[in-house]
Amino acid sequence: MNRLEKCGLRVLDSVRRDVQAFRATVQQYLEGKLDATRFKVKRVPMGIYEQRRGGFMVRVRIGAGVALPGQLRALAKIAADHGAAHLTTRQDVQLHDVPVEAIPGIFEQLLAVNLTGRGGGGNTVRNVSASPRAGVDPAEVFDVRPHAIATAEYLLDSPGAFNLPRKYKLAFSGTAADDAFASVADLGFFAREQDGQPGFRVFAGGGLGGSPKPAIVLEEWVPAEDAPLVAEALRRLFDRRGDRGNKHAARLRFVVEKMGEQEFRDEYFRDKAKVAAEHPIFPAPRPFPSPWRPELAKQARELRPGELSPLIEPERRVGFYTVRINPRLGLVNPEAMLRIADLAEANGEGLVRFTQRQEGLLCGIPGGLVGETVASLRKLGKDIFDERRPSVVACAGAATCQLGLCLSRGLATAIEDRFTARADGLLPAIRISGCPNSCGNHQVAKLGLAGKARRVQGRLIPYYDVMVDGRLGAEGARLAQRIGSLPAKRVFDFLERAATDGEAGFSCQNLHALIDEYQTLPETVPEDWFRDWGSDQPFSLAGRGPGECGAGTFDLVRVDIETAKGGLAAARAAELPPPRRDQALAEAAVAIMRALLPVFGLEPGTRREVYRDFQARLVDPGWVDASGAELAAALQDWQAGDRQSLAELEPALTALIERVEELFASLDASLRFQIKPLIRQPETAAAASASKDAATATHDLRGVACPLNFVRAKVALESRPVGSELEFLLDPGAPANNVPASFAEQGQQVLSMAAEDGWHRLRVRRVK
Amino acid sequence: MNLTDSQIERYSRHIILEQVGLAGQEALGRAKVLIVGAGGLGSPAALYLGAAGVGTLGIADADAVDLSNLQRQVIHHTADVGRPKVESAAERIRALNPEVTVRAYPERVRAANALAIMRDYDFVIDGTDSFAAKFLLNDAAYFAGKPLSHAGILRFEGQLTTIRPGASACYRCLFREPPPAGAVPSCSQAGVLGVLAGVVGCLQATEAIKYILGLGELLTDSLLTYDALAMRFRKVAVRRSPDCPLCGDRPSIKELVDPEEAACELRP
Ligand code: SF4
Ligand SMILES: [Zn+2]
Repeated sequence: MNRLEKCGLRVLDSVRRDVQAFRATVQQYLEGKLDATRFKVKRVPMGIYEQRRGGFMVRVRIGAGVALPGQLRALAKIAADHGAAHLTTRQDVQLHDVPVEAIPGIFEQLLAVNLTGRGGGGNTVRNVSASPRAGVDPAEVFDVRPHAIATAEYLLDSPGAFNLPRKYKLAFSGTAADDAFASVADLGFFAREQDGQPGFRVFAGGGLGGSPKPAIVLEEWVPAEDAPLVAEALRRLFDRRGDRGNKHAARLRFVVEKMGEQEFRDEYFRDKAKVAAEHPIFPAPRPFPSPWRPELAKQARELRPGELSPLIEPERRVGFYTVRINPRLGLVNPEAMLRIADLAEANGEGLVRFTQRQEGLLCGIPGGLVGETVASLRKLGKDIFDERRPSVVACAGAATCQLGLCLSRGLATAIEDRFTARADGLLPAIRISGCPNSCGNHQVAKLGLAGKARRVQGRLIPYYDVMVDGRLGAEGARLAQRIGSLPAKRVFDFLERAATDGEAGFSCQNLHALIDEYQTLPETVPEDWFRDWGSDQPFSLAGRGPGECGAGTFDLVRVDIETAKGGLAAARAAELPPPRRDQALAEAAVAIMRALLPVFGLEPGTRREVYRDFQARLVDPGWVDASGAELAAALQDWQAGDRQSLAELEPALTALIERVEELFASLDASLRFQIKPLIRQPETAAAASASKDAATATHDLRGVACPLNFVRAKVALESRPVGSELEFLLDPGAPANNVPASFAEQGQQVLSMAAEDGWHRLRVRRVK
Repeated sequence: MNLTDSQIERYSRHIILEQVGLAGQEALGRAKVLIVGAGGLGSPAALYLGAAGVGTLGIADADAVDLSNLQRQVIHHTADVGRPKVESAAERIRALNPEVTVRAYPERVRAANALAIMRDYDFVIDGTDSFAAKFLLNDAAYFAGKPLSHAGILRFEGQLTTIRPGASACYRCLFREPPPAGAVPSCSQAGVLGVLAGVVGCLQATEAIKYILGLGELLTDSLLTYDALAMRFRKVAVRRSPDCPLCGDRPSIKELVDPEEAACELRP
């Protein structure tokens, strides 16, 4: 099998050194010399994440998704010694439940077989993925793996690979159908020949999760050997332009958005020219040997239709097959891993491949050995290989993921069990994420589900957004459209109902038509709906976050903003009867008032507390304007029955939602708003004269030109304590305009401005 | 401290800035910055810090002004050739801003005097031009616990980092020890674009001011490189090294000693 070892991703010397140095970091952490936060910053780029249930997860990158049997055996050994193994949606293998003290040893074991976790997480060049059936797929243009690996090796050899503004995901697709997710990657390559030359159509700036974006076309065609050049140029642009200050807007897609497509491309071409001018030496792509081993050719034969199943697919060479191994939720056990490694060596091409659907693949199996291969896989149990189980991809979800809201795996299991039993093959491929972050890729699914939480009758219900009709491909991706949202416990009934309509049941139109019935809540919500799948406890967000870097708090905020927007949209839908409309508006208003309070460490329980905290934290300091306070007052009146309708509040609510989103978007990593409070309205005449008695002094700045008048006024104000009020006399014209405007811009409170006899009198309060 | 009318006017463009204001300008007035080396880097740094109203500036340099200095050491004029550098520098700063107290140290900073000189300052600017001096200043700043702006220039390229001793990567975390004599050309041997010194020295002054005002992000745990030909600035993240001989976990340097003079035998 030596011929294969030469082709896979190598662990570069620089990476090897980093990994070995990491041993000391773990040691320092264990000795208490390194605090948890600093350790986190060092471990995450090594692919090590803390699990929600304790212990750590190590994400091992499998370059282009191809592993040698020896590598799989090493992973099996580690999983057997410490925890469990899990196949991801990006062709990585994750080792779960690893105790921290075992990590140095595990890294040694991995290095011995040319594997690492370096770049498995954090703001790094992540695993470079490729079409899982590259080299055997009848539909492919050419084998993209050598280019994926050469590109990865080039990028990873520079320290710049590990200190990017955010993660940098690359994907290479050999087919137009995009089984590599290239049309939603940060940088995606589609194999395409031009004048008989191999090359790529290049996409950039795609990504799922918050503010998802399909990638844009960066270049129509580049020669295949330029892939590393393209990747390095874009990496530099990203490095320079990515917004390091706000990790929620740091991915490359936000750079595209900020610069505009044209300017983005122009700058990319300049970077590309610059990289080219440096005459970098790129690693030569190393072709993989034929997947169809000559010694197995005798056994090659075409299978009869009855011998095929959804997990057995023909390859380009007639008489050879790919066998798909579909472990439930991507969870594999050490015995299965060892058996799969053996089968790859004995019956196939000698490689184990991983897909973007949490599966393993055995390729190059001659028809005559398919039966035997399938029989041995069946012996591993239905949780590893089950030809009747529908294809459901689910992320880790709230069971282990710090950011998770719903138990996505619980729902996946429930759906799989029920539909395996039905075995009618109607259910389309489903993708489930436990929160809007889309690790389960629901945003490009034919049928996708994304976990969220909704407050109903003051309690939380696990909910899923239902998305349909997502698509990937060389002509660009299309994001799935949300058609509604369901309590987690209703998802299931909804799917079953759709299935009763047969073949057409899962068409977009039909799902659209059906969902209303399932998303309307009954008067009394069944107690069971307050629990998530696979849990007997009432649904809660406890144990979530703070996550890595306050991300948990961010999600809490996002849930409320989403709820508010949903409520507003519902209220706007014309058919709603007024009482239902007011109900929706009220819920939206409370949600939006509550949204930002977690940022201040507050989680008010009752509405009254929400109004109080909202007033104190957001209205009084001027983060939102006074109409926010009026909204709160109107709601209280309405609740007390002193107000008939809330319809007139819609504009104020819309404005408040916008403002809250603006504030939310400006939060930095330490949860501070980066935009300024709004300018306060001048107080009423009565209030102004009431405070006239307060010690005020008048500074005559008449005859002092701009900007020195403002400088003097500012010095005068800043030499008094916060809360002081001062009066200034200003010349008309520019001074009268500029000085109050400048104070307001700098966040001081302009109390009044009045024209007097040929001059103006300005009153200002120092508020900061 | 109460600013006079003329001070308010002098510093008005600072005071207008929301992030500086009266309090910031007063903080500058209370601040004390030591500039080691009144050469290419020290010249612009001293002028801008003086102009900014930094209350006390210390200038340490043992050399006299040479005609070949004037291509980049803009604080000295043609008539100053032959005078001690600290003298002409002090004179120029006072002429620019009489409110600044200038303290001149006409001596080479060495292990024997470094800590005593640094003790009284809030921030140190390394404007020296030899590896030995840079390592000495790095070590001295560490033992004195003073923040330090390190910079170096050569030909068309400059580099810069800010060190908060013990809290961020030090010069030795990045470069263990001075290179052997002759291995790296000193400025005199290699030549340097004069204006490069101006750019980099101003960046050092910027770091000092940000430090005093507590503004923005310091260039700690980062190395900024500037390539004047490509007109490219690049900020590279660096990190404290656990096996740094000075600030690492098991330090081998326990007290301040003069590193061997290595690079610069020629007169700067
Ligand atoms: S989608 Fe959400 S819950 Fe699922 S793994 Fe990603 S962050 Fe966690
Ligand atoms: Zn150090």
